[in-house]
Amino acid sequence: MASIARCLRVARPSAFSAVIQSPVSRPIGLRSFSVTATNAIRKYTKEHEWIDLSADKKTGVLGISEYAAKALGDIVYVELPDEGREVAAGDAIGAVESVKSAADINAPIACKITQINTLLEEKPGTINQVPEDDSHGGGWIAKVQITEQGVQDLENLMDTAAYAEFTATEGDH
Amino acid sequence: MALTSRLSRVFPRRAPSTATPARAPSRTRTPGPTTPTARAFTQSLSAPVQIYRSTSTDPYLNLSIEHHLLQHSDPASTILFLYANRPTVVIGRNQNPWLEVNLHQLRQGLGPPLQSPSPSPSSPAGGQTAQQQEDASPGTNAAPIALVRRRSGGGTVFHDAGNVNYSVICPPAVFDRDRHAEMVVRALRRLGVLRARVNGRHDIVVDVGGEGGIDGDGGRTGGGVQTFKVSGSAYKLTRTRSLHHGTCLLSSPNLGRVSGLLRSPAEGFIKARGVESVRSPICNVGVGADAFVEAVVREFRTMYGHGTARTQVVGEEEALATEGVVKGVRELTTPEWIFGQTPQFTFSTCPTEDDARERPPSVDDLPDGFQANFTVRHGEITSAAVSGLEYHDLTRQRLHYIQDWKRTLARASPTPVDTDVAGDWLNHMFGIETAADKASGAVAEMAVGMISDSIVGSIRDGDGTP
Repeated sequence: MASIARCLRVARPSAFSAVIQSPVSRPIGLRSFSVTATNAIRKYTKEHEWIDLSADKKTGVLGISEYAAKALGDIVYVELPDEGREVAAGDAIGAVESVKSAADINAPIACKITQINTLLEEKPGTINQVPEDDSHGGGWIAKVQITEQGVQDLENLMDTAAYAEFTATEGDH
Repeated sequence: MALTSRLSRVFPRRAPSTATPARAPSRTRTPGPTTPTARAFTQSLSAPVQIYRSTSTDPYLNLSIEHHLLQHSDPASTILFLYANRPTVVIGRNQNPWLEVNLHQLRQGLGPPLQSPSPSPSSPAGGQTAQQQEDASPGTNAAPIALVRRRSGGGTVFHDAGNVNYSVICPPAVFDRDRHAEMVVRALRRLGVLRARVNGRHDIVVDVGGEGGIDGDGGRTGGGVQTFKVSGSAYKLTRTRSLHHGTCLLSSPNLGRVSGLLRSPAEGFIKARGVESVRSPICNVGVGADAFVEAVVREFRTMYGHGTARTQVVGEEEALATEGVVKGVRELTTPEWIFGQTPQFTFSTCPTEDDARERPPSVDDLPDGFQANFTVRHGEITSAAVSGLEYHDLTRQRLHYIQDWKRTLARASPTPVDTDVAGDWLNHMFGIETAADKASGAVAEMAVGMISDSIVGSIRDGDGTP
């Protein structure tokens, strides 16, 4: 999602700031961010996906970041991954549509999709409200089983602090 | 997204031992040398700036060339691709063909050309100077209009030879939604369409009448100004690339038919997830296709090429000599892609809790007391209630393969019922044709007839049976 995050800020500053100032999405988004970050190991990709890992690094939950969700604008449909599919890091596993754009969601690491968040099909806007919430009713996209390769792939991802720094400077590239 | 796995279902006749690679050239019906041009089409994929123009008018082929460029070009390159399609309705990635399109009209084709090229005021550029008649030949008009589900987001549009499509593929870092729509606006202004501009929906519109100083979109605004859409945009964003493509109505003789083509009889009965189209009044800009292409190429070169990149003409044969393109066409023409990728929707003949709208008058054509209510997920009926009976057999059926609702209802009912009127009505709703001369009225069969004759041989393999 690197592309969208940038383009919207350049092209539609009004839309971007409108999302930031939204009284609904802002507080909820903040809450989910802080709650989940303390409960699990969370990593981010440069393309703005996140993955939460269980303590034993055998399973995880993934989604798109709050930064990306804000930049995307109103999400009107989510193409969910196929359950049971095994994917490599960077593979397109689904997509989100907003503002006429179908943007791929990519697997942050090698993994097997074990469960998808069907709530998003009915309420795609959940991603705008609580993008980084991995609990019931949250905007997470899929639960996954992590392969050996997947554990190695983790080294290429950023932790929360590094990602915050990355998004802060992204517009300057 | 495991797209190729769907292909085998639609082309089941493929000989089991044959693999897809490199079969395309030998399957091409028109004989001719393919190798030299094939090399030409793919050899520039690493060049920093590339410009292509397709001579094919097949929508599935053109979108597959475009997708191939998106996936296989150098991630740092910037590409302009221009093409025009024969009469086609293109729905967005996450749209519902039963809701967006009049499938009956699609089958019938365009019929004789309309006298007036446009219901809108004459061209804002000062006259329909380049009225094209490519679609006026009876042969073309009898052909069914193609139905395409594209890979990008957005709403439904109509294409024909009087509409040229532009497509820009570039790295995500330089992408923004208006950048290349503005490029096309500059080209249009250079061609005399001075009041073209990009609106808030990233579409290109033209203001007509009034004194200028326009601030509104969508039809009549203050001061006698009317605003017409001439170009629609859609985007596909992958991990490494971004694609913006748009239509541009130059001189379509079919504008008067577009509204009807894009209106489904089932509109008032379907509640769909996914993306609904936004209707806009449209008009032609009155510019010739070659002039438009030249002007867009010029603006593109000014932005990226400094005059160095040459336009490569891509013909059908060389496009079909590229395996990835053939795979793309195969996928785009499968009923599983066109219909089976439809987001979940409900169809109900009377107001429900989920969809409380009052139903259109056509519901009066149903027999007294007949009610139908079902949920369709990815083209498959997942639950159904018809006239209070338990129609268990309806579930798990795929909507696009239903050949005649009369038979389907009769078979699903535990007791003998008269299903003729209700069946005909449902056939009408879902675009099913039951004429005696048709082998099958299922909408899935439409896809087969919609592929251009010139390329159909190339994308089939196996025993060659259509």
